[in-house]
Amino acid sequence: MPESEQRQAGTALVLLGPATLLMVVMLLGPLALLARFSLNRFDPTEIMVAALTPENYARFFTDPFYRDVLVTTVRVSVIVTIACLIFGLPMAWRLARSTSRLKSVWLTLIILPLFIGAVTRTSGWMILFARGGMLDIVGRLFGAGRVDVMFTENAVIAGIVSINLPFTILALQSVFEGIDPRLQEAAASMGATPARAFRRVIFPLALPGVLIAAVLCFILCMNAFATPVLLGGPRFHMMAPLIYWEFTNNNNWAFAAALAFILMATTLGLTGLANVVIPRRYRVGR
Amino acid sequence: MDKLTVSRRVVLGAAAALTTPAVIRPARAAERCVVGTWGGDYARLLRENIDDPILKPQGVEVVQDIGDESPRFAKLNAQKMLPRGTMDIACFGAPNGFRAGQAGLTEKLDAAKAPNLRHIPDFLASESFVPHIYSAQVIAYNPQTVTDPPQSFGDLLDPKWKGKVGVVATAGFWLMMAAGIYASGNPDDFDKAKPLILKLNDNGLHLYPETDNLAPAFKSGEIEVGMIWRARTVMWQNAGFPVEGRYPKEGAILYVSGMSVPKNAPDKDAAWKYVNALLEPSAQRGFAEHMGYLPTVDDAPLTGKIAQQLAIPEPRPKLQQPNYAYTTKVQAEMQDWWDKNVQHA
Repeated sequence: MPESEQRQAGTALVLLGPATLLMVVMLLGPLALLARFSLNRFDPTEIMVAALTPENYARFFTDPFYRDVLVTTVRVSVIVTIACLIFGLPMAWRLARSTSRLKSVWLTLIILPLFIGAVTRTSGWMILFARGGMLDIVGRLFGAGRVDVMFTENAVIAGIVSINLPFTILALQSVFEGIDPRLQEAAASMGATPARAFRRVIFPLALPGVLIAAVLCFILCMNAFATPVLLGGPRFHMMAPLIYWEFTNNNNWAFAAALAFILMATTLGLTGLANVVIPRRYRVGR
Repeated sequence: MDKLTVSRRVVLGAAAALTTPAVIRPARAAERCVVGTWGGDYARLLRENIDDPILKPQGVEVVQDIGDESPRFAKLNAQKMLPRGTMDIACFGAPNGFRAGQAGLTEKLDAAKAPNLRHIPDFLASESFVPHIYSAQVIAYNPQTVTDPPQSFGDLLDPKWKGKVGVVATAGFWLMMAAGIYASGNPDDFDKAKPLILKLNDNGLHLYPETDNLAPAFKSGEIEVGMIWRARTVMWQNAGFPVEGRYPKEGAILYVSGMSVPKNAPDKDAAWKYVNALLEPSAQRGFAEHMGYLPTVDDAPLTGKIAQQLAIPEPRPKLQQPNYAYTTKVQAEMQDWWDKNVQHA
C-alpha cells in the first residue's frame, strides 16, 4: 500500500474508531444482551430464569391479541407517513424554492415545535380533544353535539403527525434544495407545464430523498410511546407502550425483550421492503 | 543541607495533603443511608418528614436513588450475589415487597433493631416488609350529581350507571380482587371475579391511563362513579374536585406501600434507623396529611380535618390484604386476561 493511502487509512481509523467503538459498546452490546433475555423464561419471583427457549416469540405469533397490536402499529405508522408526505411535500417544495428574505423565519417556525417535548405537545392535544375541551365546546356551540375524539385512533394519528411533520418537512426540503432549478426551467422550455415538470423531472429525482423522509417518519411512528398512551388511552394498543407495560407492570423482561426484537425486525423489514418497491433507477446510489 | 530542604518539603507537602481534603470536602455525616424510592411528591415527603427532621439530627445522611419500582426490584435481584449492594432501603408496593422477601433478598424485621416495628398492627405486619402507608379501595362518586351512591361493587353493574363508571386501567388486577370480595368475600376468587368484570365492562366502563385522569373525568361529568384508593379521593377533595369515597359494604382490598432492607445493604445500622424513623408518629401523620394515606402504626392517631376525611366507618368494613403468596403467582396471568378481555374488548 502506498504511503499516502496508509496515512489515509490511519486517519480514517482515528476518525471512525471512537464512534464505531461507542456504537458497539452502547448499542450492539445491549442489543445482544436483549437478544439473550428474549430467550429466557419468565418467573414471577426471580423475574427471569436462564433458558434457551423460543416460547416468547411463539407466544407473540400464536396469540391474535399481540398480532393485532402489531397490525395496529403498522397501520397507524403507514397512515401517519402518508399524511406527513401529503402535508409535507408542498410545504417543503415551497420552502426550497423560496427566495424570500423571510425563508429563515419560515424554517424557524417549522423547527420551533421541536423545541417543545413530545409529551408537552401531546398534552396540548389532550386539552383540545378531551371532553369539555376546545373541540367539544366548539362542537356543542354549533349544535354538533358532543365531540369525543379523545382515546381514539384518529387522536393518536393527529398527535403523531404533528410530531413527525417537522422532521419530514426538513428532510424533504433538503432534498428539493439539492435539485437544480434549471432542470425545471429546461423542462418548461421544452413545453412542459409546471405540474408535468414536477411529475416527470423533479419528483423522480427527489424520490430517493422522499423515501428517506418517509422511512424516518415511519420509524419514528413505529416506536411512538407517549402519544399512543396519552391520546389513545388504555383500550388502544401500540407496540412501544406494550413493551413498557410488559417490562414494568408484569416484570416480564423476557417477553418484553422478544417484543422489542419483533418490533425492530418488523420496522427494518418494512423499511427494506419500501426500498425494494421503489423502482431500481430511482434508488439512492443506483 | 540539601537533604534537610527536601525533607522539609516532604513534611510541608504531606501536611498540605493531609489538610486539603478536610478543606475541600463538605462535612460528611457519620452514616449514609441510600433509599431507592419513587420520585415526585413521595420523595419530597420522605425528605420533609423523615430525612431532614428525624435522621439528620441523628447524623444520618440520606441519599435518594429515584426510579420506578420495577427496575428497583430488578436491581435488587441482580445485586443479590454481591456482598455489598447499592441500596440500604428499597421502597416497594407490598406485592413486590413480599416477592423480595420470598426470594430471600431482604432482611427479616427485628423490633430490637427498630423499636417502632412493635407499633405495626397485626393485619399489616409481615416478615420482611415494613408497611409505611396504606389505603383501601373504595367506591368513588360525584356528590354533586349522585344522591344515592352505590353501596357495593355489585351496584356498579346496575344499568343505571351505564357509561358512567370509570377506573384506572393499570389497577385492573386490584379491581378483579374487589370483584372477588363482592362475589365470595375472597379477593383471590378470580374465577368468580371474571364474569363480573366482563359485565362491568359491558356496562360502558371508562378506562383511564393514569390515576390522576379520573379526577377531571368526575369534574367534566364523563363519569359519576368508579373505584379508586381512598387516599386519592381525599387528595382530589383537597384539590377542589367533586369526589367522595365510600367503603364497599362487602369490604375492601388494601394497597400497602412500604420498604425493605436488602440483605446486602451497605450500611444496615443506618437502614434500621431509617425503618424506625419512617414509623415515627410525626412522619406517619405528615404522610396522612399530605397524601391521604392511613398511618401503619397504632401510636399515630390523626386529628382535625384529615381524621374526619380518613375515618373508617362503623361498623368497620372488612379490610383485607391480598394473599400475596397466591397473587404473586397469578398476577401476570390475570393481567394478561385483563388486557385481552377488558382493555382490548
